[in-house]
Amino acid sequence: MRSESWRGAVLVACVYGFFLIFAQFSLVELVRGEGIGLLGERAVLGVMAVAGMAAGFFRAWRGASVGGIRWALGIAGVAAVVAPWVGSVPMFLVIAVMTGVGIGMATVSLSSMLPAWCGVWWIGVGTGLGYGICNVPWVFESVPGVQAWVGAGFCVVGLLVVPRAGEWRREVEVRVFPVWAGVILFTALIWLDSAAFFIIQHAGELKEATWGSAHLWRNAVVHAVAAVVAGWALSRRGGERVPVVAWVVLAVAALAVNHPELRWLAAWLYPVGVSLYSTALVAWPGWFSGASGSKAAGWRAAWIFGVAGWIGSANGIGMAETLQRVPPMFVVGSGVVVLGVVGLRTRDWRAAVVVGLVMVPMFRPVVRETGLERLSAVERGREVFVSEGCIHCHSQYVRPGTADEERWGPVREWEEVREGKPVLIGNRRQGPDLSRVGLRRSAAWLRLQLEEPGALAHGSAMPSYGHLVDTGRGEDLIAYLTEVEPEAFAERFLRIQEWVPKPVGGDLPDGGRLFERHCAVCHGGDGRGFGYFSGRLERPPANLVVGPFVWSADEESLRRIIKFGIPGTDMPGHETLTDGEVISLAEWLRGLRR
Amino acid sequence: MSERDEGVDVAARHALGWLVFGNAVGLLMAVLLLWPSWNPGEWTYGRWVPVHLNVQLYGWLSLPLVACLLRGFEVGRSRVGGWGGAVVWGWTAALGAGVWSWLGGQTSGKIFLDWKGGALTAFMVAQGLLWLVLVLAWVDRRGGWSRVRQVVSLMTLAGLAMVPVALWFASSPELYPPVDRTTGGPTGASLLGSTLVVVGMLLALPRVMGLRGGGWSGRGVWWFYGISWVVFGVSEGIGGTHFDFLQIGALCFLVPWTWILAKDWDAFEWPAGAMPWRWASLGWWGVLVLSGCLLYLPGVLDRMKFTQGLVAHSHLAMAGFTTSFCALLLIILTGKRVGGRVSVGLWHVAALVMVVVLADAGWREGGGGSWMVDQPMWRTLGWVVRAVCGGVMLTVSSIWCFQQRSS
Repeated sequence: MRSESWRGAVLVACVYGFFLIFAQFSLVELVRGEGIGLLGERAVLGVMAVAGMAAGFFRAWRGASVGGIRWALGIAGVAAVVAPWVGSVPMFLVIAVMTGVGIGMATVSLSSMLPAWCGVWWIGVGTGLGYGICNVPWVFESVPGVQAWVGAGFCVVGLLVVPRAGEWRREVEVRVFPVWAGVILFTALIWLDSAAFFIIQHAGELKEATWGSAHLWRNAVVHAVAAVVAGWALSRRGGERVPVVAWVVLAVAALAVNHPELRWLAAWLYPVGVSLYSTALVAWPGWFSGASGSKAAGWRAAWIFGVAGWIGSANGIGMAETLQRVPPMFVVGSGVVVLGVVGLRTRDWRAAVVVGLVMVPMFRPVVRETGLERLSAVERGREVFVSEGCIHCHSQYVRPGTADEERWGPVREWEEVREGKPVLIGNRRQGPDLSRVGLRRSAAWLRLQLEEPGALAHGSAMPSYGHLVDTGRGEDLIAYLTEVEPEAFAERFLRIQEWVPKPVGGDLPDGGRLFERHCAVCHGGDGRGFGYFSGRLERPPANLVVGPFVWSADEESLRRIIKFGIPGTDMPGHETLTDGEVISLAEWLRGLRR
Repeated sequence: MSERDEGVDVAARHALGWLVFGNAVGLLMAVLLLWPSWNPGEWTYGRWVPVHLNVQLYGWLSLPLVACLLRGFEVGRSRVGGWGGAVVWGWTAALGAGVWSWLGGQTSGKIFLDWKGGALTAFMVAQGLLWLVLVLAWVDRRGGWSRVRQVVSLMTLAGLAMVPVALWFASSPELYPPVDRTTGGPTGASLLGSTLVVVGMLLALPRVMGLRGGGWSGRGVWWFYGISWVVFGVSEGIGGTHFDFLQIGALCFLVPWTWILAKDWDAFEWPAGAMPWRWASLGWWGVLVLSGCLLYLPGVLDRMKFTQGLVAHSHLAMAGFTTSFCALLLIILTGKRVGGRVSVGLWHVAALVMVVVLADAGWREGGGGSWMVDQPMWRTLGWVVRAVCGGVMLTVSSIWCFQQRSS
């Protein structure tokens, strides 16, 4: 192993480390800590960006050199050492200029000289090391002053390990990735990353779930491993796949942060995506931009760090500040850009043109909600039924002359079924038929079923739709499901009164077990009405031990109540129970009174 | 017959890519049935179903047919040859837009016709661009074609021009096909009509692909095909239910096709490597037709309707027959094998086990509404077997996809 290789990797780690811990975190917190307002904070960050871009292009014009890197690290290190003692806007502006100059010169010089020192694989090692150290709890959770000195420490280490100038070479032959493509590609990635990161860092609960104390070591390891893998992939597979994979991972993470139940996924994926593209970003000027030497690579580095790095991150943060979320359409748009750029490179321009034409209709103004407010709750509920794909598990068709009539009836007129736009007959019953389900289930019961289906209905494979209830769409859905014309109640009632269980021979099923499965969740295990859901119904469930029904109901009525429930109340039917099960359960319930 | 053709190669790769994606979604759905709490946020089971169904139909099944069109119109040899791969990318982009739309809750609510809004327009644009490329290729290449081929291809273009419009109307909530009121499902005549389209494709396959040999019984096959369509027209016009002899008899007109097609295909010279998929196509086709007729009988349909039995039949159609047909088509078009002996065998075994288990569960489920609830162990075991089979099919299809890309 050549010493230049590991020195190059450590230098990458130091520049990344300084940027992350000081420029991104510590300096901003120090400014805020002095009570400087938002305008001052933005001025500091803006000056740093302008200085960084200017220094980068200056270094590209002058040409990268070992001395230039040393100067850059020296300036950056002094800024970090002094920063904790600064207390005014003008002085912070000076620090910002020094920091921007240091980062701008260091990044351009380093990325254009790396091919002289090490292979692209080492870039992954260096990037992983930098991100990993910054996520170590002691560093990440330190006060801003200490973090500033950690940043200065990175500069000192960097100064000590800077390799001597060497011969510029690449160990892998790669396809040229033109400047404009690289700039667009990384701008999209950095924009997406910055927006997601801003949101994560500014929502306490979200930050705790992703960058909380308990997750820092994990994040450090994930960052490091992903960056090393990225370096390996770049050395083996070239420069196109890693950014695409990074976008896929970041896109999923950015969408997942909007959903509390999926934040664990974002916590795992976000560091992976960041490490992947960060490694590719450093490697791009020297290996994948088509540069034939250090000078050309320097110009490419200046463009990519100047436009993609500074402007991409500023826009990402600005978008997140304004919208407080990552819009799904932005994720799609960034994907079109990333895949389009890569596709344009790897396929041909024709495919990009066709894909662009095909995707145009997807970007027309979203009209999904338009007009919904003019619909009734029932009509909106039908839209929800269609939108959520309820039809894939619930039919809405009672077949005349079959067992359906007893379970889900009465039969609806065919003309009424045909009036539906669209017709919602369905193909499969993972769950019960929902024709006129309001005859068999109350709104309160349906609300509980949407929230906790597995707990309410024994053996239910239905997922929770608590998110619908939270947004009001659940109420619309319930309004649609419970809409029943009054005549249907009478028809259903007559049908119920006609029902008598057929005599069953042999042993009856275990009534106690059936009670546990189907009744205890509301009536309680002892039948006294204190089940898990008892407090969430319109009226408390009956006390089956001393309750009124035992006095008033004859045996047949009790069986009918078990089978069909009490229409108009929260007592649901158990339509799929066999006659033997109904008889057994009724017997067992009567035993509660003895 | 096979030749290097960028558009065909891209279509083959994308078709297999969509097969892998569709299988992955299918596996996800099988897992979600076992563990409902794993549903990822708003992207619940109900939103994944149209993704699974449509990706298999418009990706895995349709793209080999798109490749067939590109080859038939000699796009690769024409002056617009560079656009063959591009329009396939457009098709894939539109299907990707559809996936995004369905997961976002945008659907027409019509199974297999869930296209709506921007995704519907995107798909129509993709189809329009494909059509435009075919037209330009026709203009460029027709000079070297026979008179018959010129006319047939022109008629094909005229028919294809109607596809986006037909899709627009078919996906509209305003339209719904004839229904057997006793079941809520299609009539026997409807099933006959849609399956005769498949019969037409099976008859056309060796002829359109230019395989040597001739139809086994010459005009007799086409006469019977015509008669079958007449039967469809009459029975569709009269209507009825699955209790009526006319509807049952109409559907039974498909049974002879299990034998006729086998004899017809046997008279052609098929390329090397096609044999396993050819026999699999015919085998699954026979089982599909016979089981379909059996399922339509009074008493059987009443028991199996709305149960896992019909899911079994759908998988018999898609995982068994359609997959075999598409693989066969890709072999003829690209000259590349689709899978080795082991992977092909594993696919069919997994598909068969899944179909048998689902059919058995459907039969039990149809016997009493409480079976799904009262027999959690058997129900769960059935779903586990289904998931395992899905895992096998996902693995096998991934291998095929990888082999297609690397060969």
